[in-house]
Amino acid sequence: MAADNDPESEVFEITDFTTASEWERFVSRVEEVLNDWKLTGSSPLKSSPEKGEYTSGTWEEKSQEINFADFKFYITHYFLKQECEQDDGKERLEEDALPLAMQDLLCMNNDFPPRAHCLVRWYGIRAFVVISPGANCEAIISESKCNLLLSSVSISLTNSGCQVPVFVQIQQKWRRIYAGECQGPSVRTDFEMVHLRKVPNQYNHLSGLLDIFKAKIGCSLFPLPPVNIAIRFTYILQDWQQHSWPQQPPDFDTLLGGEVGGVEFGKLPFGACEEPISELHLATTWPQLTEGIVVDNDVYSDLDPLQAPHWSVRVRTAENPQCLLGDFLTEFYKLCCRKESSEEVLGRGLTEEEGKENADISQALSKLTEPSAAVPIPKLSVSNIVHTARKRIRRHRRNDESPLNTDILNSVLLYVFPDAAVEKPSENGKNKTAQSNSTGTAEQEKNPDYNLFLQLKSAPSDSLTYRLALCVCLVNYNYGGLRAVAHLWQEFVLELRYRWENNYLIYGLTAGPPDLRCCLLHQKFQMLNCCIERKRARDEARKTSDGSKDRERKVSGGSQNSRQAADSSREGKSWDSWSDSEDEFFECLSDQGEMEASQTEGGKESSKTKAEGRLHPYNNLTLLNSTELLYVPVTQEPAPMTEDLLEEQSEVLAKLGTSAEGTHLRARMQSACLLSDMESFKAANPGCVLEDFVRWYSPRDYVEEEAVDEKGDKVLKGELSARMKIPGNMWVEAWETARVTPARRQRRLFDDTKEAEKVLHFLAMLKPADLARHLLPCMLHAAILKLKEEEAVDDIPFVKKTIQQATSQACKLLHPPNHDYKKIEDFINQLTAMETVITRARSLKAKFAVGEDEKGETSEELEKFVSSLLEEPEVVVTGAGQGPTGSIIHRLFISSQRLADFTSDEAALLAPVDEDTGSDRRPAGLSIKVPDFPPAAGREILLRTCVPRPAPYSKALPQRLFCVLMKDEFRLAGAFSSDTSFF
Amino acid sequence: MDEDVLTTLKLLIIGESGVGKSSLLLRFTEDTFDPEQSATIGVDFKVKTLAIDGNKAKLAIWDTAGQERFRTLTPSYYRGAQGVILVYDVTKRDTFMKLENWLNELETYTTRNDIVKMLVGNKIDKEDHEVDRNEGLKFARKHSMLFIEASAKTKDGVQCAFEELVEKILQTPGLWESENQGQKVRLGDQEQARAGGCGGYCSIP
Repeated sequence: MAADNDPESEVFEITDFTTASEWERFVSRVEEVLNDWKLTGSSPLKSSPEKGEYTSGTWEEKSQEINFADFKFYITHYFLKQECEQDDGKERLEEDALPLAMQDLLCMNNDFPPRAHCLVRWYGIRAFVVISPGANCEAIISESKCNLLLSSVSISLTNSGCQVPVFVQIQQKWRRIYAGECQGPSVRTDFEMVHLRKVPNQYNHLSGLLDIFKAKIGCSLFPLPPVNIAIRFTYILQDWQQHSWPQQPPDFDTLLGGEVGGVEFGKLPFGACEEPISELHLATTWPQLTEGIVVDNDVYSDLDPLQAPHWSVRVRTAENPQCLLGDFLTEFYKLCCRKESSEEVLGRGLTEEEGKENADISQALSKLTEPSAAVPIPKLSVSNIVHTARKRIRRHRRNDESPLNTDILNSVLLYVFPDAAVEKPSENGKNKTAQSNSTGTAEQEKNPDYNLFLQLKSAPSDSLTYRLALCVCLVNYNYGGLRAVAHLWQEFVLELRYRWENNYLIYGLTAGPPDLRCCLLHQKFQMLNCCIERKRARDEARKTSDGSKDRERKVSGGSQNSRQAADSSREGKSWDSWSDSEDEFFECLSDQGEMEASQTEGGKESSKTKAEGRLHPYNNLTLLNSTELLYVPVTQEPAPMTEDLLEEQSEVLAKLGTSAEGTHLRARMQSACLLSDMESFKAANPGCVLEDFVRWYSPRDYVEEEAVDEKGDKVLKGELSARMKIPGNMWVEAWETARVTPARRQRRLFDDTKEAEKVLHFLAMLKPADLARHLLPCMLHAAILKLKEEEAVDDIPFVKKTIQQATSQACKLLHPPNHDYKKIEDFINQLTAMETVITRARSLKAKFAVGEDEKGETSEELEKFVSSLLEEPEVVVTGAGQGPTGSIIHRLFISSQRLADFTSDEAALLAPVDEDTGSDRRPAGLSIKVPDFPPAAGREILLRTCVPRPAPYSKALPQRLFCVLMKDEFRLAGAFSSDTSFF
Repeated sequence: MDEDVLTTLKLLIIGESGVGKSSLLLRFTEDTFDPEQSATIGVDFKVKTLAIDGNKAKLAIWDTAGQERFRTLTPSYYRGAQGVILVYDVTKRDTFMKLENWLNELETYTTRNDIVKMLVGNKIDKEDHEVDRNEGLKFARKHSMLFIEASAKTKDGVQCAFEELVEKILQTPGLWESENQGQKVRLGDQEQARAGGCGGYCSIP
């Protein structure tokens, strides 16, 4: 307090940083970053890492740019994410505990982590900071620069009190040479490294390395505290010759051959065309040795891999092996992204001519659809036109080189339209087609996968759409790509048109209105089928009614067009006028206003007239004004809709707004159906009144009450509900407008001709890419089914799980109206990845002879081993070299060694590898010929101890040397700690 | 005005004819009651913006006709709905008994299975109730729905019904976001780890 009041201390003391050098600025910048990352101060208390935690835990990194003058560096903090210990503070008392990093140097729980930063592997540390040059091509080569950086680090660490080791990457990046430092309370550790291309002879073994380590520690204590040794030798098996990869690419050519059964088109290919497992790495580890237990010097070595107490294996997989299913999907996806229209693809010549043909057809049709067509053209002629058009096009193409080979085209069409094989232009053929549409569905619905199409918004796996998708995919991949697809599509649309013209139902679609849960294309096909069905019904109705007019009410939903009910003389003609394509709402009838009175009046009159279009009596009710039974009339079925039409319509309805007029208009627009029903009702129930209609149509709007009449008897008195009695309400209005017309003579609510033409036009206008996009859900559906099927064979639990996840992801991807194609591409890549994993599993199973007769226990163990190989980076071999898995691996190495030793001819003559080489040990003398294992591809030797440094009376501190010996790399990574107070 | 609208929701009102669907809607959107509300033909449509917890949601509400015969027409409008209000008349037991049918209808025609459902017992202002509140509650619980009794005539419960429904929809993840930032399926992270510089078997080729 006193000091604060001292006037002298109030004098400003100016600290001048204006002349700070680049170097000083760099140092302060490093400090700043360390502060920002909260790496300063003594490390929070954390227990030493659990065994294997470096592998199972998550590693994180933070990175930032930092400049030394204008040279860019990255400073990066790597750390293992750990729960902070909530300790009761008893350890907290140890004020000068060693920094974590120094403790880690000696920790033996995570030696040789299968997957970690190299510094983690070399030094066993769980958190560190690296400063490396910003650009990959940059490097700190000169020694003075290295020293400058290291001094900066040193100063920053001291200033900030940071206990996390900081490394500087020097030399070219690929050499991965780091130098670094860690500071703690009066202790420091220096991290140094040696990196050579060749292993010097005197250090090519354990004893030489021990010499370096001891020399470096320079400890004068005697006896020297024991050095702890961990050793790992790694052997690589690359040669799978004895297991040639069995998967053959499917022979597409056979499809071209004689037997074109069409079966082949229904299948997606699967599997890798090349070996998906490229290498097997066997790591043999001696985790804990002490000096003197093993001998390893320039003349003799105890380190026999077979005797290593610990074996682990990792496999290296081929990068993106060519997988068939994935290829198919990728190509299909690419098709989705093409821009060309069919015309551009097939060339003008073809389409122009076709255009002419099409024009002919549409002309002919427009003649037919013209309401006033005086002379109805017989339908046959239309189909003839189509037929000849088809023939002409086919012939034409056969001469030129058509994009899609004719044989293939025919077999594709035969697969897509299997009924075409039995199709005959006879009634029999038609009936068959209709029947076969509905068979087999009951069975399939039991299959849990059958309903997958609902989730994916694709189409049932036995539907036309699904088959088409498979064919388009195959044709795209294998028979000519874009052009062939365009060609196939043209033929497909022609076939549909042919069926429409000739009243053949399209095979492979469930009957009924479009299923809005399926993809739009499927809905369109269903729509076309609806049209064909209506048209057929109409034509048949005409036939029967020609025969006997009495049977006409059998025709349910028959939608005959007739302008005037009264005008029966025109009836004959109107049968043949196919269409009345003008959109007219019933308002147009208002011009017949003057007729209305007579109409309603006439209702009573006509009670004697014959009822028409009765379906069945309704609950045995009688009409209110007579004793006649109340009949439910035959009514027009509502117009089937595809989702795009529906969308359009709801938009129109919504656009009318929310005002009263809007509501009124909306009701009017939708009352066509109500009106039609009223007309049918009137026709079926001569003499009826609105009350009768309401009793059938909206029973709750007819209120019945018990009342007592004059005689004192209880009677039921009924009347319309209040809302039906509102004068001028839509129902009354419609009732008054409604004429007496049975459904079959009403204006069609659904104009099948127009709708069919709309569908066919929609289809014909699709570009190949549009088609592919429409079929994409089916394709993904098929791919998922294929993956499921293949996975089921091999039973790989985690693939099973991923397939499930993928399915639910696909649901999300495929449902919104606008597909995100980028995500779909990612999704396809995921499917491909799953395929790859399955093929890997197969390859491994073949190599480890899983499922081949072995004893139950062993095969179970092998199976587990193989599945872990797929999931984990490194898998421990139970029993090391002595266990069943180990002996298989041993055998694999032996045969590979023998093959390498002899020329292939000689190898062929070799006797098969002795079955029990695994367990039998050969006397050393006999093994001169070929060693079981190739020379180790890598040897790692880890030396650790805790000794006082630099002076004998200093504190005992962790020392560590990690040595890597490879064919063309020699690396020593040392961490040497010293006491900075007592030296 | 539309800028601060969080999302547009599609709601449906369904139920037997004459239970007061249009009246409920009219009460909610215009806060009026028309005793002469005529029977709906096909579907009708109203819009209202509702603020819930500071989030504005634009509601596009589709009102449907309850008559059996219209049921060939109306379900096509169920597509894409996120919420549905299923109405019965507490003074008419048969309208309650038919609820099961309506749920089946929904099941068949809605495009999503996580649609939020609310059961409303209407006309509680009237005397002689035929359906007890507890029955409504029981039904709603059985089918995991929200439940409220209301009267379009007296205003009771109407606002609340719509608000609750919307709130529930907004709380249901994935139901209303236009873009599902779906988590990616990953096949382990082997590939990724390998790509990352020093990862993996660093000292061995």
